[in-house]
Amino acid sequence: MMKSILIITCLLLSVMATAQTKYEQGMRKAFELWEAGKPNEAANIFERIAQAEPDNWLPPYYVSQIHVFQSFSEKDKEKLVPQLKTAQDFLNDAKAISKNNPEIMVLEAQMLTAWIVFDGQKYGMTYSGKISELYNKAAQIAPENPRVVLGKAEWDIGAAKWFGKSTEAYCEDLKRAETLFATFTPEGEFYPQGGGSRVVQVMAENNCND
Amino acid sequence: MKLSYLHLILGFFLFFCGNSIAQETISGTVLQKNGQPIFGANVYLEGTYDGASTDENGRFSFETTETGIQTLVISYVTFEPFMMAADVSQLKDLALTLREDVNSLDTVVISAGSLEASDNSKVSVLKPLDVVTTASALGDFVGALQTLPGTTTVAEDGRLFVRGGDAGETQIFIDGIRVFAPYTPTTNNIPTRGRYSPFLFDGITFSTGGYSAEYGQALSSVLLLNTIDEPDQEKTEIALMTVGGGLGNTQKWENRSLSVNASYINLAPYIAAFPDRNDWQKPFETFAGETVFRNKFKNGLLKLYAAFDTTNFQLTQEDINFSEGVNFQLKNSNFYTNASYSGELSSDLKIETGGSYAYGNTKVGVFGSDITGIENSVHLKAKLRKRFSNRVKLSVGAEQFLTHFTENFHDTGVDVDYGFNNNISAVFAETDVIFSKKFAIKVGARGEYSELFEQFTFSPRTSVAYKTGKNSQLSVAYGDFYQQPQQEILKFQQEELKAEKTQHYILNYQYTANNRIFRAEAYRKQYDNLVTFNTEMAGFDSVYANTGDGFAQGIDFFWRDNESIKNVDYWVSYSLLDTERLYRNYPTAATPSFANTHNVSVVAKYWIDDWKSQIGFSYQYGSGRTYTNPNTPGFLQEKTKDFNSVSLNWAYLLSPQKILYFSINNAFAFNNVNGYQYSSTADANGNFNRRTLRPAADQFFFVGFFWTISEDGSDNQLDNL
Repeated sequence: MMKSILIITCLLLSVMATAQTKYEQGMRKAFELWEAGKPNEAANIFERIAQAEPDNWLPPYYVSQIHVFQSFSEKDKEKLVPQLKTAQDFLNDAKAISKNNPEIMVLEAQMLTAWIVFDGQKYGMTYSGKISELYNKAAQIAPENPRVVLGKAEWDIGAAKWFGKSTEAYCEDLKRAETLFATFTPEGEFYPQGGGSRVVQVMAENNCND
Repeated sequence: MKLSYLHLILGFFLFFCGNSIAQETISGTVLQKNGQPIFGANVYLEGTYDGASTDENGRFSFETTETGIQTLVISYVTFEPFMMAADVSQLKDLALTLREDVNSLDTVVISAGSLEASDNSKVSVLKPLDVVTTASALGDFVGALQTLPGTTTVAEDGRLFVRGGDAGETQIFIDGIRVFAPYTPTTNNIPTRGRYSPFLFDGITFSTGGYSAEYGQALSSVLLLNTIDEPDQEKTEIALMTVGGGLGNTQKWENRSLSVNASYINLAPYIAAFPDRNDWQKPFETFAGETVFRNKFKNGLLKLYAAFDTTNFQLTQEDINFSEGVNFQLKNSNFYTNASYSGELSSDLKIETGGSYAYGNTKVGVFGSDITGIENSVHLKAKLRKRFSNRVKLSVGAEQFLTHFTENFHDTGVDVDYGFNNNISAVFAETDVIFSKKFAIKVGARGEYSELFEQFTFSPRTSVAYKTGKNSQLSVAYGDFYQQPQQEILKFQQEELKAEKTQHYILNYQYTANNRIFRAEAYRKQYDNLVTFNTEMAGFDSVYANTGDGFAQGIDFFWRDNESIKNVDYWVSYSLLDTERLYRNYPTAATPSFANTHNVSVVAKYWIDDWKSQIGFSYQYGSGRTYTNPNTPGFLQEKTKDFNSVSLNWAYLLSPQKILYFSINNAFAFNNVNGYQYSSTADANGNFNRRTLRPAADQFFFVGFFWTISEDGSDNQLDNL
């Protein structure tokens, strides 16, 4: 009697619990690998979680993000294009699950920026307006989100630099992003929270601390 | 805190329970077709968390508690996803080979005949911006295409002449739907321009032969223009130019967007400042408006496009037979609308459907006669595309063309009406088969029925592409093409005529690597059933027949390089053409005056970062074109001197939103000759005198200021020159 109760409890609990913990275990493992400099393996785990959890936008968001970040340093054009296409596919999945999500908008803007970095002549005209629009839209929805503030400021700084104009005015935005990062609390575990070190780096690059 | 307490308990139970649940190990190796291991592939059981990445040797191994039949999935960029269903106990020591994804970048592309200007194509030779930044083009999409191989420089005409074909042999389509009057009306010796704004399109495919069975009624060439699916953002655009002005606005909503633009061009001030060889009573004036509405649905996209323009001018041109010159006036109004829908009926079935309606009203006054022509045309089309797999696709479609044309000729004591109805029904089917990344074929056929001629025509089309190396490929194409005789013939004679025919044979080689493209294409085009007549001009009294024929053959080269010289992007086109035909009222087969042997275009763009400027250069060369000299025996037996023109432009970015633009055509003022007009009667010595047909103006200057106002003030059409 005791034995069958134990087995039944075990089965029930494992059914209930694995859904929880497998997700958490998987996400943790993926972040660990990512931090350990193994982004491809991390992306594979996020991809597996994405197909096991079709209603959660975070796993496809991170698969996409890994590919976008990697593409900024990818020099081989033959690898870069399929990489950005993969990023786009997972971004579309994330967008389909979570509509009007400012974090996804920022990622999309970064992905389009990667295309412009790849070939400005080809993609500059079509994507630069779209990027501005994405940052504006994200800023309307989440004016206090530090990644939105930082992304928009970086984009504006890029444009100002290109025109040989002073970027001083954007130090305000960066400082605001820095303050927002300090107080930012993610919506839950595994929700986007990175960018705090990036803002320090961008501020240093633009002599905002002088 | 509460949460982790729960975890602890759950963890404990799981550990405890884990021992009582059986685990299976899934293992194997993932390889490429050639036996090389794939490193980093993602291997997992579908719908579960269980999986692993492959190591350097392509090996993977992971444990699962799943039982029974499960689907093993392997995914890796540039390979087709692999799936296999089996009992987990059998998923051990597998040796699995992935197939390359034929949708990836390095797959062979059928490129024979077609030249693309787009963002997304693998075979694109032009970028969308080239249309507006090519020095000689002056913002005309047709002008930019004239720098591509396969075209002939016919400076006084302005339309596209492709591989020995006349301008009427090229058809233009917007979003797959036919355009009936793509060029603004003009008169002798004054080049025309395309009617449509280049900023509305983000993809242009220019095919100089061997095109898909989807397109008919074109003997030589098709030009496919695709409007932008989704504008980048809300904005207002203002253009101020020495010849007029323009205003545009784009609004966006959740799933729809609307773009409207209007332009007004008046050459009066320019001609007052720089008089040309014509005596203008009413300099060229045109008002044009365009609008595009787009609505996204869950599984499709609807686009509505409408354009309206009016043109009027009056001038007196010199003429050797009339000492006082010939007066010509023209008033034209043109309306064109086009609706297209593309959508997915299911995951592997796509529909593209649409229709267009065109209305044109042209009033011409010449030699005291008034000629009024009214054309109403409709095109309806539907196409289904079924995807059987990544490698096999089939398209089938049907379309209908309806044209109703009437003309009135009015002079003292004369008033006649005439015209025709020309209805054509067509069906087409085409299949694409990709055998491997290296080898693909496209086979199609088109059937057309002409109500006017009670004639059925059948056109097979086929092309094959084979990859010869990592960056190079060979394509061949063959096709039969039919087209009804032009309006200027049909309005006088419809009975006893039939469609004109061409056959294309094309061999294409293409090399693309590292921002460099080289393309060479040899072709032979056979003309049959060309319309002939026996009078000086086509008229009611002429006797018509389909007894003409001809050929065009040659080789085209294209080289584009955006890599070798820093901040310089340039391309060079060379076309060699050999053509003769017997048609119209030609007494013998001859090279028509719109064709020449050698054509060269060189276009270069140099970006100067410090000046925020792009300097553009373009050079056009065309060898002499034929004309008939009645003082010596023969027909089209002599050639004009060669044509040369250098155009320069300078685009200066004042700020992200403001551009100042200067351009000058024929900067070195070459004396170009378009042809000669001979007197219709000989003088006392039995000599026919002649007049040299020079361009109306040797040079053209243009200054424009373009301002884009967007919500956040950071967008500009040209901010990434």
